[in-house]
Amino acid sequence: KMAAAVAAAAGGLRRAGWRLWRGRAVFECHFCPPQSALHASAVLRRVSHEQEPFASSSQQQFDSHPSNHQPEQEPQGPRPSYTGQGGQESEDYESEEQLQHRILTAALEFVPEHGWTAEAIAEGAKTLGLSVAAAGMFHSDGSELILHFVSQCNTKLSELLEQEQKLVQLGDAEKKPTDQFLRDAVQARLRMLIPYIDKWPQALSILLLPHNIPSSLNLLTSMIDDIWHYAGDQSTDFNWYTRRAVLTGVYNTTELVMMQDSSPDFEDTWRFLENRIADAMNMGNTANQVQSTGEAVVQGLMGAAVTVSNVGTSSTVR
Amino acid sequence: AVAGLCPCRAVFARRGGALRALCGSLRGLAAGPETHFGFQTVTEEERREKIYQVFESVAKKYDVMNDSMTLGIHRVWKDILVHKMNPSPGTLLLDVAGGTGDIAFRFINYVRSARERQLQRKLRHHQNLSWQEISESYQEDKSKSLGDSQVVVCDINKEMLKVGKQKAQHLGYSEGLSWVLGNAEELPFDDDMFDVYTIAFGIRNVTRIDLALQEAYRVLKPGGRFLCLEFSHVNNPLLSRLYDLYSFQVIPVLGEVIAGDWKSYQYLVESIRRFPPQEELKAMIEDAGFFKVDYQNLNSGIVAIHSGFKL
Repeated sequence: KMAAAVAAAAGGLRRAGWRLWRGRAVFECHFCPPQSALHASAVLRRVSHEQEPFASSSQQQFDSHPSNHQPEQEPQGPRPSYTGQGGQESEDYESEEQLQHRILTAALEFVPEHGWTAEAIAEGAKTLGLSVAAAGMFHSDGSELILHFVSQCNTKLSELLEQEQKLVQLGDAEKKPTDQFLRDAVQARLRMLIPYIDKWPQALSILLLPHNIPSSLNLLTSMIDDIWHYAGDQSTDFNWYTRRAVLTGVYNTTELVMMQDSSPDFEDTWRFLENRIADAMNMGNTANQVQSTGEAVVQGLMGAAVTVSNVGTSSTVR
Repeated sequence: AVAGLCPCRAVFARRGGALRALCGSLRGLAAGPETHFGFQTVTEEERREKIYQVFESVAKKYDVMNDSMTLGIHRVWKDILVHKMNPSPGTLLLDVAGGTGDIAFRFINYVRSARERQLQRKLRHHQNLSWQEISESYQEDKSKSLGDSQVVVCDINKEMLKVGKQKAQHLGYSEGLSWVLGNAEELPFDDDMFDVYTIAFGIRNVTRIDLALQEAYRVLKPGGRFLCLEFSHVNNPLLSRLYDLYSFQVIPVLGEVIAGDWKSYQYLVESIRRFPPQEELKAMIEDAGFFKVDYQNLNSGIVAIHSGFKL
């Protein structure tokens, strides 16, 4: 029992460590405000919000899910451009990062036409009233646009799963069995790709570029972790890793199948997904079966040995 | 020997300059605050005049001298600048101190090929067009080979602009190009006009760099980009020694031999040494109100590209 408690504590620590490791990305502050901020920014909007000290907002990040590595709501470094009498009202300008997020979000609607390129970003900037040269803020291969889109999708998925969980807790909905839960979660996530499916292979290849691999891997693993968390995974042993590895494999292969699926509403893909999830579930059973079979075989051998020795002793006695 | 030579000359010049400044202040009227011209100390008015004369005399041989001094590498630097800009068709560029048009021509080439790629992609999409639509698209192509992109070349020096216009005619650049006479410290343009502002090897010659940066901020559209290509501070000590040797021993000699003008190229080399290093220029650009200011060293600091956005 002591061992079980220790194992549980270790598992909890590991999970917390996992969250911390992902959460540390939240604190990467690349942004240093210029020394003399006498000029009112031409573009960065005023964002007035209630007094929210940085420490408490970061605490929130830990407790809730830090599901993307670029938080959109965090105001980084309030710009001291107006310090009048109203010291209480913290009127800040949005940071450069927030503006960049706005541009990337606006650029997404031009992706079906231009692909994941600097041109799409330039068109997006134009719709916000900025010059097309603003696309120069980003890498010219469109990586940031894709990463932004992926993290947006992951956030949407987390919100969806959280809402579902709330419904279950309130008793308004039935708790789904694990395989159906996983199936629905993966399907929901993959459906978000449908508007961009033509250009998605290009995006996948860009995500595999060496300088993008850390970020894209981070986003993928955090998404898979989210899904398992909401599926109710409480494992504290090696199963934790096995489950995530298996689901990552299922997700990746299904995504690839979706790329070249031409059936109506991607029916073939969802069927493929169903089969893979079933395989994954069976794998767990098979492992148990193998173990119990192995145990049975060993017991049989032991029994045979005992019988043989008994027969031997009884024969010598007689 | 080189190290000994430079400060000697500098001290000599400065002493002379200090004397001149003393006389000037004794006369009770200075023609402007003191500044530097190479290693000399002059008033701002004098500096502007002297620089104007320098470029007036080198204008005809400017390109030849660039090639011989940098062994042709300046072309690569300018290519990198335009590549970094990555202009899309429809961009309005203002090239300040653009004299002989190097950046402008590269910009036009880049935009033209980008436009061609865009059109090709569009054609590939539209596989089944009617004959009417095809003929319309051909007409459209002819009138918009640049896709509404435009570049305005602005220079303070008439001679440099003249050489630039001749080059444009010679190389066949006609559309999308304008030549304007203007001072970088006081641009003759309205606010919020341009997408990109470049100044290649020109900001060193501006007397009040802060004014030029403020003007750059003014004429750029919101979201517009400021790009500055300029000689800068070499951080590698070995390379720095070789660079100094080459600058002070070889370049003025080349100037005399090719352009018949030792003094102008002496000024050039000295002005590079007096120009603020990368971090300082970055701070000045930020002071003018630009955001996301960054610099990229080329050839370990011989040249640096500074970039900022009007956000």
